[in-house]
Amino acid sequence: MLFHTWSFFAFFTVAYLVYLLVKGTWLRLPWLLVISYFFYAWLSPLYLIPLVYATVVDYFVTGRIEKSRRKGAWLALSIINNLAVLGFFKYSKFIAENVNVLLSLLGASLAVPAPGILLPAGLSFYLLQSVGYAIDVYRGDVQREKSFLTYAAFVSFFPRLLAGPIERANHILPQLRVNTPITMRDFTDGLSIFVVGYFKKVALADYLALYVAKVYGAPREFQAPALLLATFLFAWQIYFDFSGYTDMARGIARMMGLRLMLNFNNPYLSLSMGDFWRRWHISLSSWFRDYVYIPLGGNRKGKLATYRNVFVTMVLSGLWHGAAWTFVLWGVVHALGNFTTRELERTSFYAQKVPAVAKQLFVLGFVTFAWIFFRAPSISDAWTIVGRIFTSGLANPYCPLLALGLIVAVWAYEYIFESRVQWLLEARVVRVGLVILMIGYIIMTVPAEGQPFIYMQF
Amino acid sequence: MEAARTTIQRDSARADDAPAFDCSHLVRLSGREWFIVAVVILCLVRFGPVLWNRVEAFHPGSDYRVPYELSSDYWLYRRHCSRACGQEKILVVGDSVVWGHYVPPEQTLSHYLNEFSGSEQFANLGLDGTHPAALEGLLRYYGAHIWGRTVLLHFNPLWLSSSKHDLQTTKEFHFNHSELVAQFAPKIPCYKAPFAQRLRIAVQRKMPFSNWTSHLRVAYCQSKDLQTWTLEHPYSNPLWVMLRGLPEPQGPGEMPSGSWLDKGGKRQDLAWVELDGSVQWRFFRRAVELLRRRGNEVFVLVGPFNEHMLTEANAATYNAIKDQAAAWFRENNVPCFLPSPLPAAQYVDASHPIGEGYALLAQQLLEQPSFTSFITDRNTKGQP
Repeated sequence: MLFHTWSFFAFFTVAYLVYLLVKGTWLRLPWLLVISYFFYAWLSPLYLIPLVYATVVDYFVTGRIEKSRRKGAWLALSIINNLAVLGFFKYSKFIAENVNVLLSLLGASLAVPAPGILLPAGLSFYLLQSVGYAIDVYRGDVQREKSFLTYAAFVSFFPRLLAGPIERANHILPQLRVNTPITMRDFTDGLSIFVVGYFKKVALADYLALYVAKVYGAPREFQAPALLLATFLFAWQIYFDFSGYTDMARGIARMMGLRLMLNFNNPYLSLSMGDFWRRWHISLSSWFRDYVYIPLGGNRKGKLATYRNVFVTMVLSGLWHGAAWTFVLWGVVHALGNFTTRELERTSFYAQKVPAVAKQLFVLGFVTFAWIFFRAPSISDAWTIVGRIFTSGLANPYCPLLALGLIVAVWAYEYIFESRVQWLLEARVVRVGLVILMIGYIIMTVPAEGQPFIYMQF
Repeated sequence: MEAARTTIQRDSARADDAPAFDCSHLVRLSGREWFIVAVVILCLVRFGPVLWNRVEAFHPGSDYRVPYELSSDYWLYRRHCSRACGQEKILVVGDSVVWGHYVPPEQTLSHYLNEFSGSEQFANLGLDGTHPAALEGLLRYYGAHIWGRTVLLHFNPLWLSSSKHDLQTTKEFHFNHSELVAQFAPKIPCYKAPFAQRLRIAVQRKMPFSNWTSHLRVAYCQSKDLQTWTLEHPYSNPLWVMLRGLPEPQGPGEMPSGSWLDKGGKRQDLAWVELDGSVQWRFFRRAVELLRRRGNEVFVLVGPFNEHMLTEANAATYNAIKDQAAAWFRENNVPCFLPSPLPAAQYVDASHPIGEGYALLAQQLLEQPSFTSFITDRNTKGQP
């Protein structure tokens, strides 16, 4: 069930009204669990199997971590178990295909059968959250949750189940444990956040997707301007798609009296690649920072080790996104971008003389370039696109002006938001006017059937 | 609900005390501001279509029919319907046979009925592709103006000529005007749309605003949503396109010049369905009942189906079905006319006549005492 569908509106109306009724009673968490499982099972009841499995195993394993002397062994079991589930559903085909390539290179006549396993939506998100929780319990950063109901609700809380944010136990569990009242402010704030997310998804992301899909579907039929514009539009499409999802998730949670973490913070205004990753998919980048980058040594062991750690983290982050070499390459490109802007920031000219807007445009340009490897169906397609951008002609791209206008409007809004004249956006007429424009645009023009979220496939 | 109301506690704290709004934008509205938004949006929803009615010129002539390319523009159909009802016309309702699929507007059934009766009292309210299941929805949701009127309702037996036409197949089958059919009950076996889509359709077709935005899409964006349309017209301003007015009807494209006999005229065995178990017949009956419940006088015209293309045995099956239908009309006091087939050369296919066929059918109809008394009664009684 997707947030921008009619079935979700019907589901949420019922689920929310009952939630309000049972909010102050012992039924609150059971009801939350029921609606979360129902929400997830709507996509496929089979999806519940790995979800329930991961929940049960980590609930018991963290119990052992808390009490046992061999905490490390139990933590290893939790990590291996979660990675095994992830590997089975997400990477088994990728591994089999690569083993077969290797075997054929070695001249072996053997071939490993490539399994066609359905990847449950949101699997990578809740497994990462589960692993994070187990590590936190092991480190003593979080007290192990005694109540199975509370823990199950933490893993399966439906707004964030499909595509995050990848929450931390110390942020969500305390909110689930206590029964704080839902204020009118919670409701109106949640609604505000939801509407912005809904607009990003159905009015912007799905719109840009049309042009991107056309060009990336047949890159050899298009020339440099169209390929450049499609890549630029994809940069915004994926931002609107994913941050739109997160906003909707946060809005729904807020209406239910729970706060999910901020996941996007105007990433296309970043001044460096490091800054970009502090603003883009914050829950994932902070997860990799806390559970991969820092345990590897972070930036404490010299320049070379720092770059090695950044590289490993970025490649793993790329691989987390999808089981394909394009994602690995995307991670590598980001690691290289990170090195570049780190080194540039060390020079006094770049740090002091280059205006912020130029740095922002540089980062935006670099990130946009990297998206080619993320979006292209294969590495050869990615290189074709890169090659054609530099070698093909300059045919009219026929890119809708309306799409470009909407992107410029959003970019201008974000720019003002981070500027000294932010107060302009605080005016009631601006805030109310924007919401009216967004809702008016949606109900007047947006097609009835929305597209799935890009990040759900990860 | 009371508990729900009390659970959401009014937060009267000043903005300074309000919980943090940890977002990368400032689109944060208070309850009062949401109320303003709701009022503005409700005004748009309520008055947008009404104002558009004044902006968009619509002056249908006596032979007007909803253009072929706007067949899914139910808002326009409703508008045409309302105009015809306002002019107290006899409404000729049905599928492409009434609409006149292979003939220009001046050779349709309603045109000849007007011509031969000597007055412009018949309006063509046919809509291309509206099988009975869709027709029932069309009348239910978009024919609300048809209240206390006189209706000549056409039934095309073609829809009973196979289980596929009758929507009985259990395998999914995409048919015309699925947005008009019953979404949840009665169940249509071949209709397998997802729940979300059914729910959307069921809600949207009751909302004039939604029908209006659909009208804008169909009439001005070639049945595409604005976003898709801008891909094909990247540098055009959609507002200017809309202000130019409704597009000129283009017609169904290539029209066959001859009759079905010119194409070989082979006889066939059609797999007629049982009338009692027929989905389409069930919906047709519902359409008749709906119209009568709304105080309309209904006269049903059945066919005439091209029986020349049926084998002898198959024609007998068809006639048995026709007799069963006639019996139902009699039992329910629905005046009807089940004409003999037109001359073979006056059919384009199984059910569509050529222009001469329509003229002959109109003549036959006007010679029917039951029909003349039906329209005379209407003229005597006057319309409400």
